[in-house]
Amino acid sequence: MSLSTSLSIAVQAIAADTGALQVTNNNIANASTPGYTRRTVLLQQAAPSEPTGTSAGNGVVLEGYQSVRDELIQSQIQNQTQSQGSANSQLASLQQIQPVFTTSTEDIGTQMSALFASLSSLSTNPTSSATRAGVLTAAQNLATAFNTTSNALTTQQTGLNSQVTQDVSQINDLTQQIAALSPQLAALKKTGQDGGTLQDQQDQLVLRLSALTSVSVTKTEGGDTLTTGNGIPLVVGSQSFALQTTVGANGMQQVLDANSANVTSSLTGGDLGGTIQTRDQTIPSLVNQLDTLANQFGTAFNAAQAKGFDQNGNAGQNLFTLPASVAGSAGSISMTVTDPTLVAASSDGTTGSNGNVTNLTALQTTALPSGTTPISAYSKLVYQVGSLTANASAESKATTSSLLQLNNQLNSVSGVSIDQESVNLITYQQAYAAAARVVTTIQQLFQVTLSMGT
Amino acid sequence: MIPDVQFEMQQSQQALSSALQQVSTGLRVNQLSDDPNASAAMVTSLATSANVDQYTKNVNALQSQMQTVDSALSAVVTSLNSAITAGTSGANGTNSSANKAAILTQVQGILSNVIAQANTSYQGVYVFGGSASTTPPFVNAATSFVSTQGSVGSLSTPLTAGSTTTISDAGTGGEFVFQAKAGDTVATLATAMAAAVTAGTLSAGANISVSGSVTVSNTNNVGIAVSTTDPVFGSMTATTGTEIQDSYLYVGNSTVNSAKVGDSLSVKTNLPGDQVFTSGADVIGSLTGLISALKGGTTTQIGTATGAVNTALNYLSAQRVPFDNSISQLNAQESFLGQETVTLSSQQTSLVGISLADAATNLSQAQQTNSAVLAAAAKSIPMTLLDYLK
Repeated sequence: MSLSTSLSIAVQAIAADTGALQVTNNNIANASTPGYTRRTVLLQQAAPSEPTGTSAGNGVVLEGYQSVRDELIQSQIQNQTQSQGSANSQLASLQQIQPVFTTSTEDIGTQMSALFASLSSLSTNPTSSATRAGVLTAAQNLATAFNTTSNALTTQQTGLNSQVTQDVSQINDLTQQIAALSPQLAALKKTGQDGGTLQDQQDQLVLRLSALTSVSVTKTEGGDTLTTGNGIPLVVGSQSFALQTTVGANGMQQVLDANSANVTSSLTGGDLGGTIQTRDQTIPSLVNQLDTLANQFGTAFNAAQAKGFDQNGNAGQNLFTLPASVAGSAGSISMTVTDPTLVAASSDGTTGSNGNVTNLTALQTTALPSGTTPISAYSKLVYQVGSLTANASAESKATTSSLLQLNNQLNSVSGVSIDQESVNLITYQQAYAAAARVVTTIQQLFQVTLSMGT
Repeated sequence: MIPDVQFEMQQSQQALSSALQQVSTGLRVNQLSDDPNASAAMVTSLATSANVDQYTKNVNALQSQMQTVDSALSAVVTSLNSAITAGTSGANGTNSSANKAAILTQVQGILSNVIAQANTSYQGVYVFGGSASTTPPFVNAATSFVSTQGSVGSLSTPLTAGSTTTISDAGTGGEFVFQAKAGDTVATLATAMAAAVTAGTLSAGANISVSGSVTVSNTNNVGIAVSTTDPVFGSMTATTGTEIQDSYLYVGNSTVNSAKVGDSLSVKTNLPGDQVFTSGADVIGSLTGLISALKGGTTTQIGTATGAVNTALNYLSAQRVPFDNSISQLNAQESFLGQETVTLSSQQTSLVGISLADAATNLSQAQQTNSAVLAAAAKSIPMTLLDYLK
């Protein structure tokens, strides 16, 4: 091996070590960058120029760089992110609904009890104007509690409706960005190069998309294909397919795919899936149960009123005004009468009779058409709201914990370890210094060789 | 490592916050999702508590009302005993006319006292009036009652549908009740009264006349009492000078009200005056009979009338027994409800509450955990190889 060859090997080594130092530098610089995937340098022995066994070797060549990825963990993180997005969305809504069902001085259960207590009080003094006024006040408070609770649910539903539009807008932005990256990534892959920064960017975009809705990623030569969980295309190669929103027959924003087909009910996972789930299923179910309770209670109370006589000796008239259908009952139940003498306490038309109070108070222990007593029906609602919130909270905690573990796993593979990079830094620094020393040594040898003739 | 540390710090801070909330509120369940089952059970438990609270208030209200009734009955018993003493004295053949007159005056006073007790009211409610409890149930019988409205005009004046006009008749001891229907006039009422005379509910001579105001009377001077709910009449008042001395009529009704003082316990809240004073061994009738005997009867008749008062006394005493039992029942129920309140409170504490000791222990544990997490974080976060390469 000539000195020139040795010098060439040393120069190559310096170049390789410089490249390795650059990779290490980049890794350290991005140690805290979200979504950054650690790079490694690909060093390889240079091909021998002489037959094997007669050559000491041709040194090292810098083949390139490689991102250290684990697509399985990445995919699991995407799945858990979808679950977390959905759970967090549901939890946020339910945590706002929960207080109106929590026992207070104004909740339905308390006001219902107060109405029955006022009726019980009336039985001890049916001619008392103050006690009669107390019954009307309690009935009004109960109607208000129904109105307030229903209003809280529908207000929440309206807020979620706006969220659907925002989520769809964000999804469209992300799918456009992903589609824009796709051709460049495909070109890199075709030439066998590492996706590097572009792939990191795309992975981050897909992760953000996963937080909004469920996404399935299929990797192909021509670029990645992204669909929703049930196959609605979002990105195919370099083309993105925007979702749209339109107001449906129920007054709620409906999500349409690129072919204008309504895909609202099929969207699951992520913030959008959770929002739609709460808006279209959880809240309507609660509202329906609340409407049924208000309607059946109001109807039963009016029927009990009709069995008696008011203080003027007239047949008891409706105390509550209810809509024609069950829907909307909780929101619109109101008082028909404001005159305390119209409480039908009497069973025989005389002013001092309290005989019909028994019929009115019996509502407390009589099953409504739904099969349970009013207070049991309400406690069932309370349980449901509490249970839904607890489940969403548990799901949110579980997915957060799971994501933490998955991210730890991914970091152990793809993350930057300062310790590891510090070692690499020293290693490559020393290698560089050694290669430089070789150059110096060869230079001295050249000098010696050149001075041989003088 | 840092996300782990952040997660652990977040978890321990949430636990600390929760423990602090438990100590400050004394509650284990501060929102429905903390324990949905307990939250739902609390709804029914609080409804039961509200019932128990109201039952307790009912008991307290009824105790006062029933004590008022019992005091009135006790005073009537005293009056009847005085009447028996006076009657026994009056039945003595050696009494002078002056003595007899004095005894008569005494018994007339006793009757007035009994009527006053029978018209006892509690918080505006006449306790012996049945459900017709807004006016005195016992009124002085008169031969003529006139409407206060004074603008009826003629027999063809329409009555108010649903209104009720009642005529109690001392001659028959009966009560005529007329409920007006749509299209009825004063003439319809007059026709019904005539039919009642035929049927024997009203005494002969019952009459109705219209001259601006309506007058209901008995032309044979039989005592009657008239009341009405018809606004056309206003109300009916005895015509001045037509009242019949020592004759009283019951214008209340026989309705007995009940009130719940427990989930499965109701008590009667009133004692209709007709049941106590005018039916069975007629208390008021016996006193009226004694007065009548003292006015001109023989000693035997006075003795017989005194015996009737004694029988009435025994009857009244028998009537008091179930009523006094109700008072005892109320007292017992008051104790039971007090215990029930404590039981429910304890149940609610076990459902959603937390003992101070448990809360303090939880807080202490949460504080220690939080401190440990923070200490661990402080040690582990700066640990890298670079620290050793200086």
